Formats: sequence, structure tokens, C-alpha cells
Amino acid sequence: MSYRIEILAHEDDGRAKIIEGALSALDKPASVRVVDVYTSDNAAIMDPVLIGSVTNPVTQSSFIRHPCESGNDTIDLKFDWALEIGFLPGVTDNIGHTVEELLELSSSCFPRENGSLKPQEDPRFRGESNKVYSSRLYLITGDLERSDIELLAAQLSNSLIQRASIKTRDEFEADGGMDVIVPNVTLEHEGTTAADDVDLNISDEALIEIGDKGIANADGSRRGPLGMSLLYMKAVQEYFAKTEGRAPKDIELETIAQTWSEHCKHTIFASSIDEIKDGIYKHYIKRATQDIRAARQARLLSPCKRGPVSSPAEDPRLHGESKGGESKNGWNDEIDGDFCLSVFSDNAGGIVFDEDWLITDKVETHNSPSALDPFGGSITGIVGVNRDCMGFGMGAKPVINRYGYCLAPVPASRGQLLFQGKDSENNQHSDIEKVTVPRFEYYRDKNLTTPILSPETIMNGVVAGVEAGGNQSGIPTPQGFAYFDDRYVGKPLVFVGTIGLMPRMINDKLSHEKCANPGDKIMMIGGRVGRDGIHGATFSSVALDEGSPATAVQIGDPITQKKFSDAIIKELRGKSDSNGDSWYSAITDNGAGGLSSSVGEMAEQSGGFHLELEKVPLKYPGMAPWEIWISESQERMTLSVPPKNTDKIIELMARRGVEATVIGTYTDTGRSHITYNGQTIMDMEMDFLHDGLPETPLKTVPIKGGEPEPDILCVPRESGDLSALKKGPRFRGEDSFLDTMLLQMLSRLNICSKEFIATQYDHNVQGSAVLGPIQGPGRLYGETSISRPLLTSPKGVVLSQGLAPRYGDIDCYHMAASALDMAVRNAVAAGVDYNHLALLDNFCWCSSDEPERLYQLKRAAEAIYELAVLYKAPFISGKDSMFNDFKGFDADGQPVKISAPPTLLISSIGVIPNVEQSISPAPKAAGDFIYLLGETRDELGGSEYYDHHGHLGQNVPQVDGEKNAQLYALYSKIARERYIASAIGVGFGGLGVALAKKAIAGQMGMEIDLECLNSDLRADKLLFSESNGRILVTVAPAHKEPFEQSLESFGSYYRIGTVTEEDKLIINNTLDVKLKALEEAYKAPLRDY
Amino acid sequence: MTAKALILAGYGLNCEEETLHAFNHVGMDGVIRHINDIIENPAELNDYQTLVIPGGFSYGDDTGSGNAFAQKMKLSLWDDLRTFLERDMLMLGVCNGCQIMANLGLIPGSDKAFGVRKIAVTHNLTARYQCRWVDVKANSKTNSPWLAGIKSMHIPVAHGEGRFMMDDKTLKSLKKNGQIALQYVKCHPDESRDRGDINHPDPVLQRDDKKMVLANGQFPYNPNGSLSDIAAITDKTGRILAIMPHPERGMFPWQRDDYHELKDKAQREGKDLPEIADGMALFKNAARYFG
Repeated sequence: MSYRIEILAHEDDGRAKIIEGALSALDKPASVRVVDVYTSDNAAIMDPVLIGSVTNPVTQSSFIRHPCESGNDTIDLKFDWALEIGFLPGVTDNIGHTVEELLELSSSCFPRENGSLKPQEDPRFRGESNKVYSSRLYLITGDLERSDIELLAAQLSNSLIQRASIKTRDEFEADGGMDVIVPNVTLEHEGTTAADDVDLNISDEALIEIGDKGIANADGSRRGPLGMSLLYMKAVQEYFAKTEGRAPKDIELETIAQTWSEHCKHTIFASSIDEIKDGIYKHYIKRATQDIRAARQARLLSPCKRGPVSSPAEDPRLHGESKGGESKNGWNDEIDGDFCLSVFSDNAGGIVFDEDWLITDKVETHNSPSALDPFGGSITGIVGVNRDCMGFGMGAKPVINRYGYCLAPVPASRGQLLFQGKDSENNQHSDIEKVTVPRFEYYRDKNLTTPILSPETIMNGVVAGVEAGGNQSGIPTPQGFAYFDDRYVGKPLVFVGTIGLMPRMINDKLSHEKCANPGDKIMMIGGRVGRDGIHGATFSSVALDEGSPATAVQIGDPITQKKFSDAIIKELRGKSDSNGDSWYSAITDNGAGGLSSSVGEMAEQSGGFHLELEKVPLKYPGMAPWEIWISESQERMTLSVPPKNTDKIIELMARRGVEATVIGTYTDTGRSHITYNGQTIMDMEMDFLHDGLPETPLKTVPIKGGEPEPDILCVPRESGDLSALKKGPRFRGEDSFLDTMLLQMLSRLNICSKEFIATQYDHNVQGSAVLGPIQGPGRLYGETSISRPLLTSPKGVVLSQGLAPRYGDIDCYHMAASALDMAVRNAVAAGVDYNHLALLDNFCWCSSDEPERLYQLKRAAEAIYELAVLYKAPFISGKDSMFNDFKGFDADGQPVKISAPPTLLISSIGVIPNVEQSISPAPKAAGDFIYLLGETRDELGGSEYYDHHGHLGQNVPQVDGEKNAQLYALYSKIARERYIASAIGVGFGGLGVALAKKAIAGQMGMEIDLECLNSDLRADKLLFSESNGRILVTVAPAHKEPFEQSLESFGSYYRIGTVTEEDKLIINNTLDVKLKALEEAYKAPLRDY
Repeated sequence: MTAKALILAGYGLNCEEETLHAFNHVGMDGVIRHINDIIENPAELNDYQTLVIPGGFSYGDDTGSGNAFAQKMKLSLWDDLRTFLERDMLMLGVCNGCQIMANLGLIPGSDKAFGVRKIAVTHNLTARYQCRWVDVKANSKTNSPWLAGIKSMHIPVAHGEGRFMMDDKTLKSLKKNGQIALQYVKCHPDESRDRGDINHPDPVLQRDDKKMVLANGQFPYNPNGSLSDIAAITDKTGRILAIMPHPERGMFPWQRDDYHELKDKAQREGKDLPEIADGMALFKNAARYFG
């Protein structure tokens, strides 16, 4: 028997308004009522106490089964269409979970109110599930066809995870309402929960098939790709034949696939490549950090009580702790020593914040899931990277989130012609071409039945996912970006990062060190295990195509995570036993690969494990052992706990509403051992599992990108008066062509404001925001943020990011160097201590089985090695995602492969000694001088300006690392003196865009003379060149002398103008635009999202 | 004896630490406790003079913001809460805490009619989460000890459901009883600097409340479409304050959106910025109330 309650919201409901808006945008005016629906097999949901608890009497009314039978005639329920959207079985239903809790609460409190039944005696509970499922019903009134409702349903739901049911009013009445659907999970192989042997004494072809499509079920169907090459399959075949002398079990094969996946082992970064025998990761990334740390070893910053134990996988040379024994009192605010505490060895990188605190940082990607379910993909990404933070050392507290989205272009705000301001003065610009956006039509399948999601659906989804995940977790999200390029259409990139904070000493031990000891119990804390995300790790290591598994998609549950996050970080972490030891000896998160990866990694420290798989709590019965072992169900941590403390932890967690379970023991047997109801189902050598994967040396083939430099008297795409252009190099006093160009540049998707993202993300929670995402009175969407993670300390954390994918079309070396310089100069511009700045690398490559792509990869890694060493900014954490390719079909059914451009995101994290010394982009006072620091060169290859005209060019921006390092070091000192009133790093769109952004941010005019740059370049090149290493600042006249003196040794600074009271940006003989026009061009494109 | 403030935590509340910092800064003795610990030992409520439900995202806003947490308190702590409220105490609910108090019927709670839901705090009219700075003006008729001496505040909102809704009768009685504590307003700019946009007033710590006019429902001044621009409501005694904006996120100048403008101005004038900003006044008032 199934029961259903329906809660009707009042007419004036914000959620209904959005749908009415969407319909009216389609010229289909309608009125919408929203009904929240709860369905269960448990009759207890009919309890008036429960119904009362989920109904707000001011704005809602409740009904049982459906509104028409309610007999409540005070509500007018005339409607034409009913559309209901609910979850498919097994999909995380957070609202349903909350109602389950209320159900338990209202029932257990029932006795307290009438003094009778206790819950266990309550017949309503006998033998019945208390599962509750939520869905949402829309009652729509308007002149609409079924196709309109289907279109709406497609907009509101995702068929991968949701069901949509549509009924006309007549059908609704005839059926007595919507159908009652209880999406319980029933697994087909219930009962057959043993582990199967897999025969590997088979042909190479058969091995390849297992690697590609998965282990065969009894009925011949396959379990999903293992992502293992023949080389790997043969290594497994040999190991089981020679060492174990038996066939592997399915769970063993799945574990090996998981552990050896590109996603987990980063085989491409680890393999030898050309002459680089130690591989890209060790040779470039890790070595950069080693070299920098060696150079910085002047003074030791961290107290040392014992040797490094954080992970045997870590190169001991990277642990500087053993190099001396100075007390932490030797600490000095001016950092010039080695501030790295734990790099590359843990779930995040950790650096010194101050004498007593450390900060961690980690940036992850969640690309493949976000292509299929953007909301689920990004929320899972953000709460996942939060767990990386909690899984650092003894568990850091997440204090800042950040994001980055690489997407295909979305249409500018609905239908409105850009630049058509209300102000008639702006109409001079109304003839400017509207930014046109290509429309994409691609399918996952040959029959063209499964289209890919539209760019705007993906953007809205990923934005909403991070909103839900970050906001609900109470973690501020002050920094991020959105970048657009056609080639992200099939595989968007979703970057999510979390900064953590932790005392450097916990229970008198270094907090960033931990070790699972033999004899420790394996505890799982948090959510239960379901079939979510089976094959997530192997899935993200292969290209997205028709066969991509739907079970790889999952939805995060931030509140379940928040509960154990608070319980672990704020309570459990500080507990110590009578010996002064922490209650747990190590902690890590469950991410890709689930238990197989978290338990496997921790067991590398102890030297083995024994897991009793039947003890793992499940969401529903019937899961096969291998599924339990590799499930990626979210919101779980794995702890290593001395046996005497397990009960205490279970009790503490229970009082916080969190489930904690002992599921096994860490051992030193050297074996990965799993039993299921007493029967051994896995028993392998740890060494084989972790080091048995065969080396595959990689070879590269050089390629050269770019096109000839365009004749820059180039034709704007559609229109534009060129007569003036041809007259001379500077267009002196001739025309308004550059006015137009600047406005069009400001409206480009990679330059315009993304304020709609920033205001949806809580950037003030924890009270830490100093410089948020919206900067200055004119509300600039900033690229750099500053936070005070400790309310008691004036020190700030400075964050920024850099990427330049289009430069890679010319040369990935310069693409990578530019990304790094952008991340550094933005942080420097805001006033970070240049000596206290660290970096993170996220490589999102494509087709990494092609030697040309590998060549680009090698060049990129080489570039960031060289530049990081010059800047003395160590890499502390990184991640790579090597196959960002979409394989599908175009509108004609022809196969297509669309590869995301090789994308390197560099994230910077640094410390500013006192936020009073921080510098925002907005000019502060009229009369201040405007300076450009750094050289402007003929470097427009891959620029926004060339792209605007449909060109790529050849002169890609390069980085003069030595010169920039000199500027950044000097600038960092000047910032301490507070000579600089405002500053912005010059990035996409060059000087012109930087000037406009400053004017918008400060709501102030500027008068600029480009002659001051002493350059032979044409005005348009001067304005839009994207040369690196430049910072645009304003300085109060009173500080002019000391400011200029401080830069004397650097030389390349140019006083180019003055801040004015006038509401105009004037560039002498070149350009003259009103502030309002600049602001409109910058803010309009994405305003309505 | 230092007055003690109990700040609740758990199930997705998340502003407890900065709220604790505010109370400790003004010299009160603040304590964070998990709701389950209070349910287990309700007598602990007797130790406190101030009860605070901080901001957050309890139960992920599922079934309506603040609803599930309010139901939890109602079903397991109601009698003890009533006893607490009968004492000479103060109670504060910020953002999610405000939503919880509305669902508990602690506001309007007129004539001690606690427990009846008359006010809903529901989805923003933009149907988007809004994190932005606003200006609020204190109602001259308010008798709330929390707002003594406060004319206006520049503090941020951060919510997806901040729109106060109620029937006409309730609104009338709130107005009559001076229970509308704070309202969203527009600030006039300094006329001398013709930026042409009242959205961007000059950087001054204390804005001129005489120039303020009600937002009249206009976004973004009224960020959620709240009825009568209501940003905060008290019970009839004024001791219970339910406020949507976050005073604890605007208690120091460095937290403000115009911090860099303020700091630059102070530097040019050769002055130091004051240590505290608008939001702190609210917490000072609590400390002062218990003397």
C-alpha cells in the first residue's frame, strides 16, 4: 500500500514565478501552482502531526492523495495540465530524507504528547519501511499543447535521474490524480551476492573485451567498462596464474581496474615520456616544488617531534621537517623560508598560515558527470573536494570554496539587444552587432535520440550545484570564473576547490601527519552505500560516449556531510585519550573508487588490511560484494581507529545523528584481504595492487599551432566602418571605431560580468570576506579574493586563478606560462606577500593517447616548472583529467569527436600579513595617477581581440619570468607601504578592458594618454594586447614620489593618465566612452541568468 | 556575573562560530551547544540569559527553510523553551534562525501566543539565492532591547527564502505593536559626487538615516520582495528578535563590501578606521541589557 500527501503552495510562490517566466519567454503565458509531494509505503506519513510539520499554514495547504478529492473548496484548482517530476529509484533524495527524519521524530514524540504508544509498539511501523520520497507537481493553467509541457518537463528535469509524468486535467480527474509512484530500489541480482570467479585463461580478444566492456554477467550482459588495456589485463592474468595460482574473483578485478585507473594512478603523468624517464609529474611538477623548497630551506618553520609518516608513497625528501629542530618561535611574518608542510602526499596540499595555523588547498575537476547531470556533477564535485579538505592530515576545516567552469558559449540575455540602454545617449551604439552565439546540435547516439545538453542547461546546472553544495555546507565561495569556448560543448570542465584551516599541532602532534597502524580498526563514518557512482573512477578516465554508464551519475547530500563534518572537525578531532593520543590515528575521504581506494590507500601505511564487507551499512539490500567495495556513494570518511576508541566514536557520532561503523582491521600482512560473511572473496598482494601496473613509456610528436598574424586592418565580423582604420596607425580624432571595439570586447563572454553566479553563492558566511567576488561600488566581478579565515588574526588568504586555453592553439608552452603568470599577478596585484604564495595545477587535457597531445602536455609542464622556480612559488597539490573528449554524432548522424582544448588551470593561494595592506581594483579618488606596470608588446595571438574578429594569429603572449619576478617582489614591498590605491592584473582584453573594468568598479572617469607608453604599436594593439606581467594601478599624488622611486630598479612603469570626476573613459585621440555605456556592455550579456 | 549566551548548532546551522565571536567580543560569555545535547539535557537552558539560533541551512531548507529544525525543537524541546521564554531573557534568530523562529511561532508571538505560525519566510521573488549588502533602518516604534540606539545598519543578506509573508490582520497588528523591527531602505548618495546611481552611496561608516527611504519592494534594495520591506520582526516585548540580514557578518569594517573605499578614505584623512562596524551594536545591546 502506498500513500501520498500533497502540499499546495500559495499562488505567489517564487518557484512558480520562475516557471511562469520561462513559459512566457517561450511566448506561452501561463499560471503555475507548485505542489510538494511526499510518497511512502508507510502509512505514518498520513499522521496529522507529520502533515502539519511539512505544511506552512501561512503559505501552504495540505491534501492527502490529491487536491481534487480533498473536498477543500476554498482553493480554486482550475488547471489544464499537471506535470510531476520525481526521482528515479536509487537517486539521492535529500528532501525525502528530511521528511524521514521528521517522520521518526514526530512518531517518537507522539507518546510524549498523548502519553500512549511507544514507537516500536506503534502498529504503523511494524515491518514497514520508513522510506519517504519527494516529488514536485506543477499545476499549469494556460493555452498550452502537450509538446509545450514536454518541453517544460525537459527543462525542469533530467531523464538520467528523474521521471516526468504529464496529465491533462481530464486524465488527472479520470485517474483520480497523479499516479502514486514509490521509487524503491529493487536489484535484479538480489540473493546472488557472492563473488564470482573470472576466467582469464582466454584469448587476447576476450581479455580486451573484458577491459573495454566489463566482466560478463551470467546472462551475457556486461557490468560496465574496467577501462583496462590489454597490457594491463595480461599483467593481471600473469599475476593470478603465477603468484596466486587461481582465477581472480570479480571483486579483485574491479579493484585492480579502480586502483590502476588513470583517475587514481595518473599513469600518463607517471610514465616515462620521451627522454623524461621519471615522467612529467616527478620531473616537472614535483621537482619544481623540491627545487623551490631546497632554495627556501634558509630557515625551518615547523617544529618537529617525529619523523614523517604522512604517507609512504611520499618522497621523504619533500618532508623538510627533519632538516633541523628550530622552535616554532623562530617564526617571522616575513616569510622567506620553506612554508610547505605537506605537499602532493595527502588529499590536499598544506602550507603554513602563521605560527599556529596551517592552510590547505585542493582543486578537483568533475567533468564527465557534469556533462550528463550538471547539477549532480557539480554538487558532488564541491562536497567531494570539501571532503578532501577534511581528509587532509587529521582533518582540516573547510573555510573557502572556489570554482571554475569551462563551457560552450551560452546565448546572451534573453533577446535583448546589447547596448540598447534606456538612456538615449547610448543609442549611438545600438547599431553594434549583437553577440551571436553558435547553436550546437550533437547527439550521444547514432539514432539521434539522445541530444547532448545545451550549454545554458549545463551552465545553469553546474552553477546551481555548487550553490547548493557550498551554501548548504556553510562554506563561503568568494572566487571563481567562467570561461567559454565552443569546444567545451560535449565535455564541460567543472573545477571545484576548497581551502582548509587547521591548528598546526593537535594533541601535541603535528596535525598534518597521520598513520594507519596495524591493529587499528577501519571505521566508515557518514552516509550509507548504494549503487551510486559505480565505475566513476574508470568512467572519468575514458572519453564520454554513447556507452557512458548512467550509474556514474550521483547527487551529493551536503547536510549529511555537514553533520559529520561538524562532528569530526569540531568535536572528535580535538579528543584525546588518557595517553594524550587522538581518538583516531588517520582519516581520509571516500571519493573515486569508494572504499577500495580509501581503505587501499590507508592500508599502504599499515601494510595490509582485512575488511569484513557484510558490515558495511547499505542503502538497500541486494548489492553484490564488488559493488559495495567500489561504490562511490558520497558523504563518507574512512578512519583508522585504535580498537579501544571505536565505541566512543560510535557513541559520539550517534549523538550527532551520524552513523559510524567498524568494518575491518588494518594489518601488516602485506595482503588486501576481504571476507564476506566469513568467506574470503579477495586476497591479493598489496604490492601488486599498488605497484603491479605495467609501465607504458610514452612518445610525443611535436606540433606547431597558430595561423599567420592577421592583417589587423581586419574586418569586423559583420559590420563596422573601416574607412578610419585605413588612414593611419592611431585613428587620431577620426572615429569611434575603438569606442565600439571596447564595448564589444566588454560584452564578450570571457570578459563580461558573471555577477549572477557570485550573488547566488554565499561569500560572506563564516564572516571572513575581506574582498569578495563583487568589487567596488560599481560591482566588478573580480578575479581575486581575500578572506580572513581567523576572526582573531589580521592575516588574509589571497586566492586567484589563471588559464588561457586559446593560447594553446598556438603553443601550449606559452599557454601554460600565461596561466601561471595570470594566477600569480592577480594575487600580487591584490597585495599578497609574494614570498608566501603557492600554486595548484589542474591539467584538463584531451586525447592523451595521441603523441601530439602528449607533446603539448610535456611543453606545458616544462613551462610551469621553469616559471614556478623563477617565481619561487611551489606547487602544493594538483590533479589531472586526461580525456576530455566527446564522441558522438552530428545532426546528420555522422560520428564526431570534439576535444576540449588542452586546458591548464593554475590556482594561486597566498597569505597577506595584514588585510589592511590589501588592494582592490576600484580607483578611489579623482586626481589619482594611473600607472601601467610592465611592457605591452605585439602579443595578440590567441587574444580575445583576434578571436572577436575570427582570427587566431601567431604572436602568443609570452612570459618574461625574470622581469616579472622582479616586479612582483618590488610590488609586494610597495603594497606593505600602502602606496597603491587600487590595482588590477591586466588579463583577457588587455589594457583597454582593464581600464574599463577599473572605471566600472570605481564608478569614476579616467583620462588616458597612450603616448605615455612610448610604443610604436597601433592603438588597437596597445589596447587589446594580452601581454603578461602587467598590473594597472592608481596612486594618490601624495604617494607618487615614493611609489616611482620604489620601481626605479624595475624601470617598466608608465604613468598613463589620471582618475577623473567625469563619467567618461577618455583615451586621448582614440576613444571616448561614457561610464554607463561601459557598464551596460559589461553587465548586460549574462544579466538575466 | 557575565551574562551567558547559548548559541545552537547542528543539522546544518553554520554561523555559530562567528556569532559566538560577536558575543564574546562584547564581553558576554558565549557557548556553542549542539541541539541534541540541549534536547538530552533541557535543564541546561537555565544556565543562559540569551538564546541564539544562528544562520545556516538546517536540513538543507528541505520542506521549507527552517521548518524541519523548528519541528525538531517543537517536538522535543517545546515545554522547556516556553519556560525559558517566560524568564527575563533575550532571544535572537538570524537568517535561518529567523526562519526557524517564524516556524516555531515565536514571532509574532503576540500576547504570549507562542507556537502559532502566522508568518512565513518564503522564497525570494527573484527565485535566486541572494548574497548582497543591504541597508536596513530601525523602526522608530520598536521597543526591542536588541535595537536600542540603532538607527540603521549596513549589513549583508544571504538567503534563498527571506520574503516575509502574512495576512493583513497580522501585518496590521505588527505595525500597531511596533513589532516590525527593521526595514530595507535605499540610501541617497552624496549629492556632490554625481555618480547618478543611488545604488552606490559614498563610503561612510554611518550612513545618514534621515536621507533613507523605504525600498518599497524594489530589488536589490529589498532583496527578496518582503512584504512592507520587512527585514526583522520582534515579539511584542521586543526581547525576541528574528532578523534576516546578518549583523555578525558586518561587525567589523574589514567585513564590509566598501572596506577598501573606507580604508583608503581613512588613510587619506590620516585617520584610523574604527574597530567595529554597524552589526556589532546589536550584540553590544545584549551585553548592556544584562548590564
